[in-house]
Order: sequence, then structure tokens, then C-alpha cells
Amino acid sequence: MDQQLEQSFVKQLKDNQNIIHKICRLYTSGEDAHKDLFQEITIQLWKAYPKFRGESKFSTWAYRVALNTAITLYRKSTRSVQTSSFDTSNLFVRQDEYNYEEEEQIKLMYEAVHQLNDIEKALVFLYLEDKDYEEISETLGISQVNARVKMNRIKTKLRKILNP
Amino acid sequence: MEELDVLKKAWKNQDASYNQVSENDIYAMLHRKSSSIVKWILIVSIIEFVFWNIISFAFSDEKYQNKLESYGIEDIMFIVNVINYVIVVGFIYVFYKNYRSISTLDSTSKLMQSIVNTRKTVQYYIWYNLFIVTLTIIISIVMMFAHNPDIISMMNEQISEGHESIFIFVCVLVSMAFIALVIGVFWLFYRLIYGILLKKLFANYKELKKIEV
Repeated sequence: MDQQLEQSFVKQLKDNQNIIHKICRLYTSGEDAHKDLFQEITIQLWKAYPKFRGESKFSTWAYRVALNTAITLYRKSTRSVQTSSFDTSNLFVRQDEYNYEEEEQIKLMYEAVHQLNDIEKALVFLYLEDKDYEEISETLGISQVNARVKMNRIKTKLRKILNP
Repeated sequence: MEELDVLKKAWKNQDASYNQVSENDIYAMLHRKSSSIVKWILIVSIIEFVFWNIISFAFSDEKYQNKLESYGIEDIMFIVNVINYVIVVGFIYVFYKNYRSISTLDSTSKLMQSIVNTRKTVQYYIWYNLFIVTLTIIISIVMMFAHNPDIISMMNEQISEGHESIFIFVCVLVSMAFIALVIGVFWLFYRLIYGILLKKLFANYKELKKIEV
């Protein structure tokens, strides 16, 4: 492979790696699975990289490949360990030491999101990344109206999980 | 929705919280092997194509050719073989085209559709082969009754004893059971492959289609 291409890819990936970390965090439980998915996404991004011409931002381009890998290509199922065993402590260093209550709430939110299915997680991820419905619909290949309806249902579902 | 917005607020601030991967780590990752289902589908599919070709080669040895000649169906079988190879090449071409069209840059829905299509090509190929196997078995049985001297004398013996209908009935039953067994084994085998490789994909695909209804 072209060495220069590899160099620029590695640099851009390193600078944008948090996108992948965030996806791994939503789709996996535990450190090993996190690393495993991170690696698979990296490989898939690298495979698709020759087609990246810099028309869009690296991050925008990476969303699609990374989500597709997590939802479709990645084979190891995370379902069996998705609920209670998720250990947030080693992945999530406390940002705000003072606001314990908010931190607890965020932890519960993560646990709730972990109970969603893969497609719902993708919608949540794009929502959290502040993407509009146009981009959500294009990324997943569903209509904007349906993306909006689904997002509202997810919010209701999360509320039910959090307040049973 | 306030709960999700709490997460959204924290979402942006969490960047520093992940163990950062170094450039060297990324270099190392690029040279590791992918374990994506697309790769597995390609491997399994190639094995399947090769498997069926080995089967058809294994059956067409010289003894088999001589047998066909003695049955007087050599010419027909030659034409059938030519048509068969054209169809096999066609299948491989469509499979390759579908495989090439799998792109992680497509929307999730389209990506899943291309993977399903790729897999379907192989599935049709297998059904086609099972059909050919069944047809070959049926033709062989009919030809055996018409041309094989041992069978003919055995049948005449049965007829002279007045067991004609029972004899035919047993023969049909045995051949049908054999065909059913062959198809059954393959069906189970492919359910297994589907179960292992594509369970997650199908579940997500269904979920996505559900949104669109």
C-alpha cells in the first residue's frame, strides 16, 4: 500500500478516534469487546479510505463506515452481556467530580441505551452527535419522516426503561 | 426529552475520557485480519462453489462416461453438462458482481441489502445444484430400469411372481427417501451457516424494514 496514504490515514484516524470510541462504547460491553470493535472499524475505514477524497470532513465520512461496521459487519454478538455487567469505570473517567448526581444519571442513561437494539443505538448516536434528520436518514437509508418517528419512539422507550 | 439531553451534554465533554490509541497502535491494527461477516461470506461461498464443482467432477470419471454410453444418453448428458457450466459461470459472475457492490460507504440499509443479495446468489446456486442432483438421480433410476440388464432381469422376475406394483412402489419410495435425505442434510447445513453468520444481520435488517413500514 502507498506509504503516504497510510501515513495520512493514521494521522487523521488518531485525531478523530473519539468517534470510534463513542460507537464502541454504545455497541460493546467491556474493554476487550471495545478494543475488538475498534480494530474492526479501523480495518474497514482503511479499506474504504482510497475512496475518501476529502470532499467531506474525515469525521462525517467515518461515521458511516464505523456505524455500518458496528451494525452490519461486526460478527461478535454483544447481546449476551449487554445489561448489568457493563463496567463504566475504566472507560469513563470522571469529568465532573463535583456533580455526583448528574454522573449517576449519565451512567444510568448508558445502561438504558445499552438495552436498545443496534438500529436504535445508531439513531441515538447520530442524535447525540447533533446530526439532523437529513443526515440520519441518509446514513441509515430510511426516510426522514420515519427517522423522526423512530427517534420519538426511542425516547419513549428510554423513558420507560429509566422510569419503570 | 431531558434524560437524553443530559447525555448529549455530557457526550461532548467525554472525549478526553477514552484511552487514546497511538499512531503505532493504528499501524499495527491495519495489518491485522478483519473478522467481518463479508469476509466469512466470501470464504463460505467460495468453499460452496468449489465443493459443487468437485462433486460434479468426481461423478464424471471414465466409468461414468462408459455407463452413460451404454445407456445411450451420452449426447444428451454432454449438452446438459455444457448448459450446466454456462449456468455455473453465470452464478459466479453474479456473485462476484454482488460481492464487489458491498460498500461500507453505502447507507446501512443498502449495505445490508447488498450482503443479503450476495448470499442469495449462493443460496440459489445451492438450490440449483440440489435440483440437478435430484434430476440426475431420477434420470439414473429411469435409465437403470430401461438399460441395466441386472435390474431388468430382477424386475422381470418380480413381474413373473406377480409383485410388479409392490416392486415399483418400493423402488419409488426408496429413491424418494434418498432424495429427501440429501436435500434435508443440505437444508440443515445451510440453516446452520445462516444461523451463525447472518443471524445478527437479519435481525437488524428486519428492524430497519420495520421502521419503513
